[in-house]
Amino acid sequence: MSKMPVYMKRYSIRLAIFMSLYTATLIGGLSWMNSANPPGEAVAVLLAILTALPILGVFWAIFRLLVEMDDEYQRLLMAKQIIVGTAMTLAIVTVWQFLNVYDVLAQGPQWIGAIWLAMFGIAGGLVRWKA
Amino acid sequence: MKNRLKVLRAERDWSQADLADRLEVSRQSVNAIETGKYDPSLPLAFRIADLFAMPIEAIFLRD
Repeated sequence: MSKMPVYMKRYSIRLAIFMSLYTATLIGGLSWMNSANPPGEAVAVLLAILTALPILGVFWAIFRLLVEMDDEYQRLLMAKQIIVGTAMTLAIVTVWQFLNVYDVLAQGPQWIGAIWLAMFGIAGGLVRWKA
Repeated sequence: MKNRLKVLRAERDWSQADLADRLEVSRQSVNAIETGKYDPSLPLAFRIADLFAMPIEAIFLRD
């Protein structure tokens, strides 16, 4: 299978769609919030959820990829990648949380979804390094 | 688990990519199975056996 498998094509298309939607809602939402006439709280809640939805879509696309992969070895690597990425995320946010508890950092863990995506990416390299 | 995949493949003059195409898996999967890093599921093992027209135990050997 030198060409891209169908499941990877689908995954790439889904990622591209969700990332475009995310960029559009984030730029649009923040521009409106920072404008001369920012929306009220109810609309702000809606904008926040609308901006989060495409990111939820990215998570969905990743887990959907795990289901749709018809290559069992690749699926094993992907499962390992998700587990290793999740473990690294938990390690980071746990340490971060205690840095906050001990007043080293003013804020506790932030952007956990973004941390997970970054760790998922790093885990992909680690898992496939000697696979 | 040891296997004779590399020898059987070489006898037919197939590359890893050729075998991967015939099994409808990735070339990395063929490589991982050949080098013993990954033991295939029973369905995939049967597909490999069918492709070479041999019983599974003539391809995969006990350690």
